[in-house]
Amino acid sequence: MKPPAIHIENLTVEFDGKTIFSGLNMKILPGEKLTVVGKSGSGKSTLLHCLLGFVTPRRGRILIFGDELTDESAWKIRTYMAYVAQEPELGEGKIRDILERPFNYKANRHLQENLSRIPSLMKNLDLPKSLLEKEPSTLSGGEKQRFALISALLLDRSILLLDEASSALDKASKDMVIDLLKAQHELTILSISHDKEWLSLSDAVFEFPVTSEHSDPDQRDTE
Amino acid sequence: MNLIDISFWRLSLGYLLLAIPLGLILWLRLPMFGRTVSAVIRMTVQLLFVGFYLQFIFDLENLWVTGAWVMIMIGVADVSIINGSNLKLSKLAISLFIALAVGTIIPLSFFVFIALDKQAALETRYIVPIFGMILGNCLRADIIGIRTFYDSLLKNEKTYLLTLSQGASLKEAIHPFVRNACEAALAPTVATIATIGLVALPGMMTGVILGGGNPMAAIKYQIAIMIAIFSGTALTVILAIRLTAYGNFSNTGMLDHGVFKRLKKQ
Repeated sequence: MKPPAIHIENLTVEFDGKTIFSGLNMKILPGEKLTVVGKSGSGKSTLLHCLLGFVTPRRGRILIFGDELTDESAWKIRTYMAYVAQEPELGEGKIRDILERPFNYKANRHLQENLSRIPSLMKNLDLPKSLLEKEPSTLSGGEKQRFALISALLLDRSILLLDEASSALDKASKDMVIDLLKAQHELTILSISHDKEWLSLSDAVFEFPVTSEHSDPDQRDTE
Repeated sequence: MNLIDISFWRLSLGYLLLAIPLGLILWLRLPMFGRTVSAVIRMTVQLLFVGFYLQFIFDLENLWVTGAWVMIMIGVADVSIINGSNLKLSKLAISLFIALAVGTIIPLSFFVFIALDKQAALETRYIVPIFGMILGNCLRADIIGIRTFYDSLLKNEKTYLLTLSQGASLKEAIHPFVRNACEAALAPTVATIATIGLVALPGMMTGVILGGGNPMAAIKYQIAIMIAIFSGTALTVILAIRLTAYGNFSNTGMLDHGVFKRLKKQ
C-alpha cells in the first residue's frame, strides 16, 4: 500500500510562546486535492511553511510519502513539492529567466526539457507570449499568480502547495486555473483558500483553526 | 628624507581653519555642531595616541609586536564593520575577524614579499601603513557588502523562500544575494581605480612624494597598493559574507533573524 502523500501527526506550532495551532492531524492521499479554509491568522500559511521545512514545529511529525521531515531531510523533501505563495514575489529579471532559473539548481537540472511546456501552459492560462520578456513589476497580480503557478507546475512535483493562489484572479482566469489543476490527476494538491469557487477543485475541505478534538484524520473526510 | 615637520604650535594655529566649517554650521543652524567638535577632538586624540604608539613600535622594530598591532587593527575594523551594519556583534565577530585576517594578510603579503624588497618590507614602517591602507578600504567595502547581503535577504525573504521551495541548495539560494552584495561593495573601489590621479592625488602617492621619493617611485607604490586594496576588498567581502552566513542560517536554510540588531521588516 502506498504511503499518504502528506501525513501530519499531532502537530503543534508555537511562535514566541504563542500557540498557532496544536494537535493537528491530517492525511492526504496521493492525487487527493484538499483545501484548507478558516479565519485569517489561524495558522494556515504556517502549515504550508511547516511542510516546506521553513517552520520547525514544537511537537508532532510530518511524513511526506513516508519520509519523515527533519532538518536533514527537508532539502530532499522540498523536491517532492512545489509552492505558490500568497502574493508571489517572483524575483528579478524577465519572466522567461524567472521560469528558467529553477532549472539551474542541481536538484532540477534533469528536468530542463519541461521548459518546452511553457507555451502550452501559458496558452491554457490565457497569458500572451509577449509577457515572457516583461519584468514581474510590470505584471498585474493575476498575471503574477498565473506565472507562479506555471513555474510550480513546470517542476513536475508530486505535491502542489497553494496559498491563496486565486486571490488576484478574475472569474475567467480562476476557471482556467481550476480546470488546469483538475486535469492533473496524479498531483496531490493542498491549497488554502477563502474562495467558495475554489472548493470545486477539492476532494475534501479542512477547517482551521485547529483544536485537538476536530483535527482527527478520520473525522476530516468530507468527500 | 627631506620631510618638513609641522611643529605643534603651528598645527594648533591650523585648527583656526576649522572656524570656517563650524561657522557655516552655526550660520545654517545645522544640528551637528556638538558632533563636529566631538569628532575633531576624537580625531586629534586618536591620532596623537596612534602617533605615539607607532613611534614606540617603530623604535622597537619587533615583528611580534607589529603582528600584535595588526591583529588589534583587524579587531577594531571587525567591531566597526558590524556596528555599521545593524548586525549583532556576537553573531558575526569571529567569522568576520577570520575573513578580515585572511583577506587582508594575503594582499599585504603580495605587497611586502613580491612588490617590495623582502628585508626592507618586513620593517614596521612599511607593514603598518600599508596594512592600514588595505584594511581601511576593506572596512568601507565590507560594511556595504555585509549590510547589503543581510538587508536584501530580509527585504526579499519571500523570494528567497520561493527559491528554497524550488529545490535550491543554501548555496544556490543565497547566490543572487551574494552577487548583489559583492557588486555593491566593489563598485566604489572600481570607480576609485578608474579615476585615480584625475580626481585626487592618492594618499600613498602623496606620502611617498612627501617622504622624498620621486614621482615614478610614488606611482609604482600607488599601483601596487591599488592592486592590493582591490584584491583585499574582493577577498574580504566574499569571505565575510560566506563565513558569517555559515552560522546565521538554520539547518533548513532559514535566516536567523537574531542576527539583526533591529528588525526593519514590514
